[in-house]
Amino acid sequence: MIDIMFSSLVAMLTSPHIMGLMLVAVLIGLVVGATPGIGGRLSIALAIPFVFGMDMIPGAVFLLTMHAVNGTSGQISSIMFGVPGDGDDAATTIDGYPMAKKGEAGRALGASITASGFGGIVGAIVFALMIPVLEPIVLSFSPAEFFLLAVLGITLIAFLAGRGNIFKGIIVGLYGMMLATVGMDPQTGTARFSGDYLFLWDGLSLVTAVLALFAVPEMIALGVRGGSISAVSMEAARFSYRQLFEGVLEVPRHWWLALRTSIIGAIIGMIPGLGGSAAAWMCYGHAVQSSKHPERFGHGAVEGVIAPETASNAKEGGSLLPTLFFGIPGSSGMAVMMGAFLILGIQPGPAMLTTHLDLVWTLIWALVVGNIMAISILLFITRWVAVLTFINGAMLVPFILVLVALGTFVSEGRWENLVILVVLGAIGYGLLRADWPRAPFVIGLVLGKVAEESLHKALQLWGMEFFLRPLSLVLIGLISLTIVYAIYQNVRPARTPRQPIGAS
Amino acid sequence: MSYVGRASMTFVMLAIFVVMVTIAAGYPADARFMPFVVGIPAIGLCLLQLVLDARERRRTGERLDAQGRFGMAEASISRMAGRKVEFEVAHAPLPVVETETPLSPREQVGRELALWGWFLGFIGAILLFGFWLTIPVFLVAFLRFQARAGWARALLLGLGATAVLLATFELVFRLDVHAGFVTEYLRDQILGWGNASQ
Repeated sequence: MIDIMFSSLVAMLTSPHIMGLMLVAVLIGLVVGATPGIGGRLSIALAIPFVFGMDMIPGAVFLLTMHAVNGTSGQISSIMFGVPGDGDDAATTIDGYPMAKKGEAGRALGASITASGFGGIVGAIVFALMIPVLEPIVLSFSPAEFFLLAVLGITLIAFLAGRGNIFKGIIVGLYGMMLATVGMDPQTGTARFSGDYLFLWDGLSLVTAVLALFAVPEMIALGVRGGSISAVSMEAARFSYRQLFEGVLEVPRHWWLALRTSIIGAIIGMIPGLGGSAAAWMCYGHAVQSSKHPERFGHGAVEGVIAPETASNAKEGGSLLPTLFFGIPGSSGMAVMMGAFLILGIQPGPAMLTTHLDLVWTLIWALVVGNIMAISILLFITRWVAVLTFINGAMLVPFILVLVALGTFVSEGRWENLVILVVLGAIGYGLLRADWPRAPFVIGLVLGKVAEESLHKALQLWGMEFFLRPLSLVLIGLISLTIVYAIYQNVRPARTPRQPIGAS
Repeated sequence: MSYVGRASMTFVMLAIFVVMVTIAAGYPADARFMPFVVGIPAIGLCLLQLVLDARERRRTGERLDAQGRFGMAEASISRMAGRKVEFEVAHAPLPVVETETPLSPREQVGRELALWGWFLGFIGAILLFGFWLTIPVFLVAFLRFQARAGWARALLLGLGATAVLLATFELVFRLDVHAGFVTEYLRDQILGWGNASQ
C-alpha cells in the first residue's frame, strides 16, 4: 500500500495535465464558493458535462478539488458582512462578523482560510488512516449487505432533510430509486416505463436528472428572489495584508484546538446524514466548552472562527469514506459527487480497495494538494473574491441555464433529454417550493441500480434467507432504528424550530 | 396555507408512485419485482405523510429569521458549554440582504411564471433553432429585460459568453450540439434548392 500511496502522489505531481486541472478546479471552486446562489452541489452538477469523456483520474480529481475548496471561500461574506452563505458558515459568522466590525476582518479571514485548509488536509489524513482499519470490514460485505446498505443509505441521507422532514426525505429517495428502474430490466430484458421511446431504454440520464433536480429549481428560485447583499459598503472589504497574515499565524498558535476540531469534523463527516452544519456547530460548542475564557465567544474570539472552519472542511475527507467504499454518500454534496463518479466510470464499493486503490490515494492527495493551493491562492485574492458577494443573482441565472442546457445535451447527445430536463425540473421546483429535500433523490437514483443488482444476486445465492445473515440483521436493525427515530421526530410535539441555522 | 396547498407535493409523489406501480403490475414477475419493492412502501409512506401534513397546521414555531436562529444557536451553545454565552450577532442588527426580502404571494407567483416562461422559451427555442442561434438571443434578452441590465452590458456579456462557449464546445471539445429542427429543415431546403438548380 505504501508503494501505491507514494506512486499516486508522484504521478499526480508530475502530471502537468492533472496539476493544471487542479489549478483550474481550485480557481473555479473558490469563485463559485464566494458567489451567492451557487452552492457546492450545484457547482459539481454544472461541472459534470465538462468532465464527461475525461479519463477517470483527472475527472475525479477535478471535481473533488473543486468541491473541497468550495467552503474555503464561502465564509468571506459571513465574516465581512454577517451574511452566512450556507449552514456550514453560520457558525463562523458568530465570531467572524464581530471581528470584522472591530476592524479585524483581515485577521478573521486569515484565520478562517488557514483553518479551513488545515481542516481539509487533516480530514484527508484521517481518511487515509482509516483505510487499513476498514479494509477487512468492507471486503466482508456480500450482495445481500449491499442491497441493505443502499436502503440504509437512503434512510440516513433523509436525515439531512432535518427533523420532521425525514419521511419526505425517504419518499424522495425512493422516487430516485423508482426512476432508476426506468429502462431495460437486466433480468428479463423488459423495457420498463419507457414505452416506445428508445432513448429511455438505457435508463434515465444521471446528468439530466441531477441538473433538473438541483440546477433548474435553484436558478428559478434565484431569479425569483433576485438581488444581492445591500446596505453594506465595499469599505467593509478593506483590510491590510499584514492583518491577513496575523490571522494565518492564529492557526499554529491554536494548533491543538485546530487539530481536535479537524478530527471531530472528519469523524462526523464519516456518518452519513449528519452534514456539515453539525460538524461546525459541534466544534464551535467544543471550542467554547474547552476555553478558559468562554465569555469572549460571540464577541470576536478567533477560536470561534478556527473551530467551525476546520470542522466543516475536515468533514469532506471523512464523507469521502462511506461514499467511496460503501457507495453511501456522507453528505448531499457527496451524493452529487457520487453521481459524477459513476459517470466517469468509477463504481464506488469494495472494489475501490482492491482494484482502484491508486485512485483512492490520488483523491486523498488531491484533497491535500488542493487545499494547500486554495490557501495560497485565496490569501492573495481574498479582496477581489469578496467583490463576488455583490453580484446580483438575477445576472447569473441565464448563464447557468445555458450551461445546464448544454450539459444536458452534451452528456448523451440526445435532444430528448432537454424535454426530460423540463419535466424533472418542474418536479424539482415543486420539491424546493414545498420545502422537500432533493439530495436523497440523487442517492436513490445512483443506488437504485446497485440495489436491484445486489437484490437479485442475493436472492439467487440465498433466497429469502439472505435477510437472516448476521450482518444483514445488523443492517436491518439500523434501518428499523432510523425509521423509528423518524416516526418519533415526526410525531413528537415541535419544541424547536424545524429550520436549522443556515439551512436553505 | 390550506391542507391541499401544504400536501400538494405529497399528492404529486403519491400519484407518481401509484401510476408507476400500476404500470409495473403489467410486467413479468422478475421485471416488476424492484418497482414493487420500492413503489409499494413509497405509497405507504406517502399516505403516512398525508396524515403528517394534516397535523402540520397544529405545529407551532414557524421559521425564524436569521437573527432568531442565531438566538436559538446561542441557547444551545450555552447549554453545551454549561454557562451563558452571548452572541453579538443574535442581538445587533445584521446587514439587510435583498434576497431575503419577502414577496407577496401574488408577486411570487408572477415572478415564478415569468421565469418558467423564460426557461420554457429557451428550451423550446433550442429544440427549434439550435443552441448557437438561441444562446446569444436568450442571454441578451434575459439580461436586458429580466435582469434589467443596460443594452451595452447585455450585449457585451451575452455575445462575449456565447463566443467563449462556441470556442470551448466547437473548437476545444469538438462537440456537435443540436442544430434545431427548423434550422435543419431550412438548411435541407436550401441545400435541396442548391442541388436542384445545379
